[in-house]
Amino acid sequence: MKATIIVKPKKGVLDPQGNAIKKVAENYFGVIFGEIRSGKYFEVEIEHENAKNIIEQLASKILSNEIIEDYEIIYESRNS
Amino acid sequence: MKVGIVRFLGTNCDYDCEFAANYMGAQTKFVWHEQTNLKEFDCIILPGGFSYGDYLRAGALAKFTKLASALIEFDKYGGYILGICNGFQILCELHLLDGALITNVNLRFIHKQVHIKLIPSICKLTQNIEKKILQMPIAHKEGNFYCDETTLKKLNDENRIVFKYCDKDGNVDIGSNPNGSLENIAGICNKKGNVLGLMPHPERAVSFLGQDGEHFFNFLR
Repeated sequence: MKATIIVKPKKGVLDPQGNAIKKVAENYFGVIFGEIRSGKYFEVEIEHENAKNIIEQLASKILSNEIIEDYEIIYESRNS
Repeated sequence: MKVGIVRFLGTNCDYDCEFAANYMGAQTKFVWHEQTNLKEFDCIILPGGFSYGDYLRAGALAKFTKLASALIEFDKYGGYILGICNGFQILCELHLLDGALITNVNLRFIHKQVHIKLIPSICKLTQNIEKKILQMPIAHKEGNFYCDETTLKKLNDENRIVFKYCDKDGNVDIGSNPNGSLENIAGICNKKGNVLGLMPHPERAVSFLGQDGEHFFNFLR
């Protein structure tokens, strides 16, 4: 099984990197952006009968810190 | 007092902490990250550094070591645990302390002398500090203390905020906040007062480096 895990700062948590990118982008394009939030991206491969459960725990217990981050898991369909 | 100084892969303030603790008269021993029994110690210090390269998040990977489980046991017995800089980040990741340390608001690694104010708290390690404004260095990129509003209220209500960044006269204001920390927080403790985490480096302010670290380490005497 393959999955993509995206970890991003929780709403309301300061994201200094996103803010810096926003400033540069606004200067470059001469337009005003709403928020730009930066996060992390992980690609995971695992063959196991409990794969989904393990990936869920990987995302919640290791890859993200629930105090400051949210995560999203996108499973890759088998026939792709 | 017998002090265990933890070494994770990437810890780099271990010798400084050993020097400071010995200087204060404590007996010290290094503790490898695979050690599972901490019963011989009265106090464990988690020194600063870049444990596991700070990969993923600062302090995140250290919590999966054998020693991390031993630390949780050690806390149950009420042993003193002091986390300095990366050690503070690890204690937060372990949930032995509340909140998290995120990237400094200016996105930079900051290395400079700061002043911190001792706040009246329940922390058992700081009860004998006579000087209320201490000067010592900070050296970090992820020292911006964050927690949600409920937790912040709890930290205040339960007197668990131990140090705040201030100016040389003790004024806690935006100008003296080096990294964007909520309410200028530089250090907090747990509910029992036996676990303390702070971003500044008291071990770099003892002997020929200064006296304020010696005030801080009074609990080791």
